[in-house]
Amino acid sequence: MGQLIFNGLVTGLLIALPALSLALVFSVLRFANYAIGSMLTVGAYLVYAFNAGLGWPLPLAALAGGAVGAGLALAIDRLVYEPLKGRGGVTLLVASIGVGIALENAVRFIAGSSTRGFAVEVARPLRLHGLRINQEQITTIATVLLALAVVWIVFRFTRLGRAMRAVADNADLAAVRGIPRRQVVCAVWVISSVLATLAGVLVGLDGNVDPQMGWNYILPVFTAAILGGIGNPMAAVAGAVVLGITEELATLVLAPHYRTMVAFAVMALLLLVRPTGLFAAQGTAK
Amino acid sequence: MSGLVLENVVAGYRGRPVLHGVSLSVPARGSLTVVGPNGSGKSTLMKTVVGLVQPQKGRVLLEGEDVTRLDAPGRARRGLGHVPQEANVFRSLSVSENLKVAFEFIPARSGATFASRLEAVLALFPEIRPKLKVAAGHLSGGQRQMVAMAAALMPEPSVLALDEPSAGLSPKNAELLFAAIARIASTGVTLLMIEQNTRLGLAVAARGLVLVAGQVKAEAPATDLLSDGLMQSLYLGGH
Repeated sequence: MGQLIFNGLVTGLLIALPALSLALVFSVLRFANYAIGSMLTVGAYLVYAFNAGLGWPLPLAALAGGAVGAGLALAIDRLVYEPLKGRGGVTLLVASIGVGIALENAVRFIAGSSTRGFAVEVARPLRLHGLRINQEQITTIATVLLALAVVWIVFRFTRLGRAMRAVADNADLAAVRGIPRRQVVCAVWVISSVLATLAGVLVGLDGNVDPQMGWNYILPVFTAAILGGIGNPMAAVAGAVVLGITEELATLVLAPHYRTMVAFAVMALLLLVRPTGLFAAQGTAK
Repeated sequence: MSGLVLENVVAGYRGRPVLHGVSLSVPARGSLTVVGPNGSGKSTLMKTVVGLVQPQKGRVLLEGEDVTRLDAPGRARRGLGHVPQEANVFRSLSVSENLKVAFEFIPARSGATFASRLEAVLALFPEIRPKLKVAAGHLSGGQRQMVAMAAALMPEPSVLALDEPSAGLSPKNAELLFAAIARIASTGVTLLMIEQNTRLGLAVAARGLVLVAGQVKAEAPATDLLSDGLMQSLYLGGH
């Protein structure tokens, strides 16, 4: 039981990064970015190229991959989303589905469809109070908590963070207060793609790097973001942890490969009962 | 010198004009209240002034400078402060964050610091000082309107554009707010206001303008408009 809750916590934290990324884009650009899965895949492959291709150590490769991924996200925004500005959330959602398919196939075209793994040492799991803890799990927990702390600090205490929250809250008012929307949008894409790349690395460490890896996360990521209330980035993290633990605990009564079904069930239930999210009761969240 | 000038402005939505050649001029440190029946184009006029709607024809001048092609953030940085009619505070941000974000993206004209501007606007609106840490969405309508006005004043705008400040307020709160607007006008800011409540709106302005069906029907000293019985009954529905 303790092991399951711990595993669920780690799974949840893994989902938290792309869920936060999704909620951030949704709150500022007002559309559900279906390409989030492919952004995760592309990020993993970029880091893989620096790690296995050039032989860089993983942390350095992750930095480089994050930078290239951010550049790619900015280019996609310029080419696809910016020209469609103001066309409504559904149009942008459909565009993002196209972007997702294009990205995944670009990965297949360049890197092939075979499964790969990062060049890291295999390490023994730790044992602590009866819990079995993998090195990858420790890496995941540390990385995710650090990333969340950085995003939280940027959000709460910086000029950029206030600008992002202001645009998310009321874009017209932000404009008359002199906040340059374009810069805020670019910052959102940079943060969003770096989070997706980090998630790609962690998912790749947990399992493999393959062109499908991001698709498998789309459902849990959307569920977590909706669980938190999709326009509310930090609550998406809480949603992710709740979902991760639910998924793991469900393996007590269901075969493990039905885990996706749990995410589906949670999402369906949520949309029926509380479409604004679990934490949207505070009144100020819109 | 002119604070704000509109020259033959034609503007509207999706190519269909709502304003048909509107011209107006507010002298620097002067004040003008625009009144008119519902649907006369008052809101479109305000949006055109602040840059949320681009005019199809005509020019907008801010302190003599042509700002017609500038978007809303560009005009805000040139010294145009705006208080929209509704949704005029960031509800999920605290009051102090609302004031901060209103200050930090517009270069202060006198080089004043945030702290000194904060003290200046809190002196105008002492009611919001105890609410600084509260989320703006949790304030009453009257308090929200004051926060919105305080936020617009943070970067020391040369022109302040107010869109229906009394909308949704109780008569008592509206009186309080207009007392504050009179104080603001006396600080030397150029004031353009759109107002449904003719009596309150014209009482704090030097001049009044009557807008009907997207055209200027009259422009005169505010006191003359208030006492002009014909104008009242024809266009303003008053007595």
